[in-house]
Amino acid sequence: MNSSSIPYKQSPPKALWVQQFQNRPLGVVSIAIIVCLIAASALAPLYNFVFNISPDQVDLLNRFAGPSLSNPLGTDELGRDVLSRLLHGGQISLFIGMVAAGFAAILGTVLGLTAGYFGGRLDAVLMRFTDIVIALPLLPVLIVLAAIDLGELGLSNTFASHEYISLVRIITIVVLFGWTTTARLVRASTLSLREQPFVLAAEAQGATPARIMAVHILPNLTSPIIVSTTLAIGNIILLESALSFLGLGIQPPTPSWGNLLTNAQELIWEAPALAFYPGFLIFLTVISFNFLGDSLREALDPRKNKAVE
Amino acid sequence: MTSARLLFQRIVLRSLKGCVVALALCAAIPAVAKDRLTIGITQFPATFHPSINSMLAKTYILSMTRRPLTAYDADWNLVCMLCVELPTLDNGLAVLETTAEHGAGIALTFTLHPDAVWGDGRPLTSHDVAFTWEVGRHEMTGIASAELYRRIHALDIIDDKTFILHVDRVTFDYNDLGGLDILPEHIERTRFANPSAYRNKTAYDTDTTNEGLYSGPYVIDDVQIGSHVVLGRNPMWWGKEPAFDSIVVRVIENTAALEANLLSGSIDMIAGELGLSLDQAISLEKRHAGRFDVRYQSGLIYEHIDLNLDNPILLDLRIRQALVHAINRDRISQQLFAGRQPAAVSNVNPLDKMFANDLEGLEYAPQKAAQLLRDAGWGTLKNGVLINENGDPLTLEFMTTTGNRTRELVQQVLRSEWKAIGIDINITNQPARVFFGETMTERLFSGLGMYAWISAPESVPRSTLHSAYIPGEHNGFEGQNYPGFRNERMDELIDAIEIELDEEKRRTLWRELQEIYVTEVPVIPLYFRANAFILPKWLKGLEPTGHQYPTTLWIEDWSVGQ
Amino acid sequence: MLAAMSFVIFVLIGLMPGDPIDLMISANPDVTSEDAERLRKLHGLDQPLWQRYVNWASAALSGDFGYSRIHAKPVFDVISPALQSTAILLGLSFGLSVCIGIFSGVFAAYHQNRRLDHLINFAAFAGISIPPFWLAILLIILFSVILRILPAGGMGTVEASSLWESARYFVLPIVSLTIASVGSHTRYMRAAMIDVLRQDFIRTAQAKGLSPSRVVLGHALRNAMLPVITVVALDFGALFSGALITEMIFAYPGMGKLIFDSIMGNDFNLALIALLLATAMTLLGNLLADGAYVCLDPRIRLAGGSR
Repeated sequence: MNSSSIPYKQSPPKALWVQQFQNRPLGVVSIAIIVCLIAASALAPLYNFVFNISPDQVDLLNRFAGPSLSNPLGTDELGRDVLSRLLHGGQISLFIGMVAAGFAAILGTVLGLTAGYFGGRLDAVLMRFTDIVIALPLLPVLIVLAAIDLGELGLSNTFASHEYISLVRIITIVVLFGWTTTARLVRASTLSLREQPFVLAAEAQGATPARIMAVHILPNLTSPIIVSTTLAIGNIILLESALSFLGLGIQPPTPSWGNLLTNAQELIWEAPALAFYPGFLIFLTVISFNFLGDSLREALDPRKNKAVE
Repeated sequence: MTSARLLFQRIVLRSLKGCVVALALCAAIPAVAKDRLTIGITQFPATFHPSINSMLAKTYILSMTRRPLTAYDADWNLVCMLCVELPTLDNGLAVLETTAEHGAGIALTFTLHPDAVWGDGRPLTSHDVAFTWEVGRHEMTGIASAELYRRIHALDIIDDKTFILHVDRVTFDYNDLGGLDILPEHIERTRFANPSAYRNKTAYDTDTTNEGLYSGPYVIDDVQIGSHVVLGRNPMWWGKEPAFDSIVVRVIENTAALEANLLSGSIDMIAGELGLSLDQAISLEKRHAGRFDVRYQSGLIYEHIDLNLDNPILLDLRIRQALVHAINRDRISQQLFAGRQPAAVSNVNPLDKMFANDLEGLEYAPQKAAQLLRDAGWGTLKNGVLINENGDPLTLEFMTTTGNRTRELVQQVLRSEWKAIGIDINITNQPARVFFGETMTERLFSGLGMYAWISAPESVPRSTLHSAYIPGEHNGFEGQNYPGFRNERMDELIDAIEIELDEEKRRTLWRELQEIYVTEVPVIPLYFRANAFILPKWLKGLEPTGHQYPTTLWIEDWSVGQ
Repeated sequence: MLAAMSFVIFVLIGLMPGDPIDLMISANPDVTSEDAERLRKLHGLDQPLWQRYVNWASAALSGDFGYSRIHAKPVFDVISPALQSTAILLGLSFGLSVCIGIFSGVFAAYHQNRRLDHLINFAAFAGISIPPFWLAILLIILFSVILRILPAGGMGTVEASSLWESARYFVLPIVSLTIASVGSHTRYMRAAMIDVLRQDFIRTAQAKGLSPSRVVLGHALRNAMLPVITVVALDFGALFSGALITEMIFAYPGMGKLIFDSIMGNDFNLALIALLLATAMTLLGNLLADGAYVCLDPRIRLAGGSR
């Protein structure tokens, strides 16, 4: 932390909010679960190596096998290892959730800062635009966007038909619609921050708007941005599963929790566990991110601290 | 965490066992007399007009309310439904003729069933047929397949029940007029006043419950868009009286929910034509064998993989053969479909009269496949993928429609088998609207394209295998020969089969056609999709057909048995 | 605004690949390309996109919204029953969710940071976090298959002799929709209530010796409703199209499913109107939220003081 920024810092010192956070068992448990899930997904290749399997290794003679040493969670309808597919699905789902939420937060922050700091006509235009995006019926528009032919947008065919294109597509769509919450939040805070003495002082010293926004305003916004981004991750993972349910999400054979669940729902009578695992993992992840966001909000909120004293 | 999950899993499993017990108890209760039959299907008809579009859901429902002129019966023989006798050259009702304007043609004399009436009591007459022909051949009507109507160049009305059709060409299936969907002139005539508005004005969609539109055992009583159709007895029905007072057709698109509805008793049966996928049905049968009869019928829906012959790799016959030798279609059928859906040998259904039963497809022989690939110049393995002398990997693109689970499963098995011999397969699936809307129709797929054709008994593969029907700029994308197959002998055979009236001679031609198909491998045959009919034990008389005429065309034979 | 939206939606749908005719002929080798050409012309699909938009807009301005292609009926004939079904479903589940949400939110706030509060909080988050179609499937398995007391989906037909018979079909969809939305309503209510309870006028009321229930119901609740009403109104617009997944699983013929089918079936006229309606509902939700704010705001300012 550079010395010049210390006087402007409004949020409680780090030690305090860490303490606050630690007082919230749900938050701590959530973060433990999330770390476990991320670590497990990241270690999927290691798991594959140890057990000498791959998530799309088909074995028709070993369908719907129960848990065993070689397949800890059994196999699916093509004899593929369920645990390996869940881990790889986790990579994709968590990746989508975090990357999309991250990009949406960046976009929202930039737009919110710009609107809030410059104000005037720019602010009016940007906020009107935000209102329009918010007014769009989300799910139907997502359906349309997910069905658009990328070839017609002038993208090359090899790009448009790449195996991971559905991943890029989903992230793009989510970012296009997910930035509004952060933008509104950031704009509102910026509006009040820019009247603060330390900002006015910096302006008087001739700092450029970019510098003021980056060095003086942004650091004070980190906590609300972190909170809203954390909450967004859960929503995005849910959204991915909903789109996959409609057949517009991540396309097989690339596994994601959403399409694993969608695929398994047709087998719900024969192999309920196949539907149970991905559904439960989605549930667990989303609820963890929600609790984490909630706990962070309470821990970072100065007003609440007073109330707890 | 893990132990909690295991505990949860145990709870789920235990409750499932409980559910099985509960169901077994319910099954023990004898069925009471039924006057209503509730059928579950997965698609809602877009229109109730018989000839605008050819959706299966519509055909399924309308088959209970209407009768075609002719149809194939459960043994795949062409029979009369609305007519009295099938015209043939032997009985003199079909006569070869030559006209100055249309060249060689045929005249067919049909007599309508004397008792046939519409549901409002008006007789069904030759004038209705003439009106239907007028509607069908009109440019602006919006009928999906107008080919039949265009081929009929004149129609003579002899009397109220007898008429002669003059067809402008002679084909072996000259007396198959199942596509002529007779419309009631007394209702539709005024609505046809402005032909271009007809498709929006037709009483079938604006006044669907008008009984005068129907001539079958049932009429439509109630329609709830997207949800259900209720059919009631046709008081004027002139044939065998059906057993049920009313039939409810419930539409549930989600197959898991459809199954739940069946198990909860909300529906009595699931139609085979539009119901559960085969693996769902097999698993249902395993779990509830005591409660339902599950009947399997292989049908006309032909699943296959088109190989784009413009791809230099696939142009090499050895590679095409290697692709077939490398896959074990019998094991797929055995493991995924419990043997209910045997591997196809060619594009002709084994139930078809023209099927060459002495012909064998390329067998599963991975060594042979590897040898063929070596001969073709792909002999070195690098990182598990074969490369040729230039170091190019043997990579092929494999496409199909997204959302068709069975297809996606088979696709993943095939990829796994091809990978095993060093062929790198890149899966790039697309939604049906893109896949059929552009990729296949404009031949934009670079390697393998997996999908299905719906055909008919003895359907000649002109648009799919004749070299004049390779879609491209030059012919305005006409035709459906997506592989781009050019084979002079094949073209000759197709031309010859269409006009060969003698069945035995035709059979010889068909055999040669199938032989070329199997050895030249423009297409990898997979299987003819089997339909699974999930029926309550008490339902008798339903005969799966396997062809384009659904079982409901014989609904009056269905009954409640012991 | 709606006009601009109609253009955006039109272009978006136009960007989707393929056209209705390709879909019609996709699996049927009997339809010749001659047929396809004829049909394309008939449906006006041979014209460029902007031309079709102009045609559509001018007809729409004169009150002709055209025919739905996949249902072969005038657009509003298709929409109005679906709209009705959705209104019933959403009205009931929304009402239920708001009532439960207010009740449990107030309850939780009143018992803030005690065990009951944590329990409600946990349940609320669980409701928000559960994938809706997973929940629907679990409900179907439990109630329709194991217990066999409720139908797994669909809508009452003529067989429905009593009110209960047709009401049975609504139970599971309503329950699953309610579970999905009650969590956020509870959380909003709880947060608003805690805010209000912390304010001076409540302390004053408590100091005057009013009973806790009088304080909560009489003073705090009214003031806490404002932010909740705003959020709930916003929610309402989104719900309108958001019931799609529930409608699909329970085979319930409502708006969400109609929108999905029309988009996937390339039914321009229907998709346009349905999407515009959905947008209009969202806008209406926003207006209601603003309206509620204006109506209630002055009193809040007086009572709550500056914040």
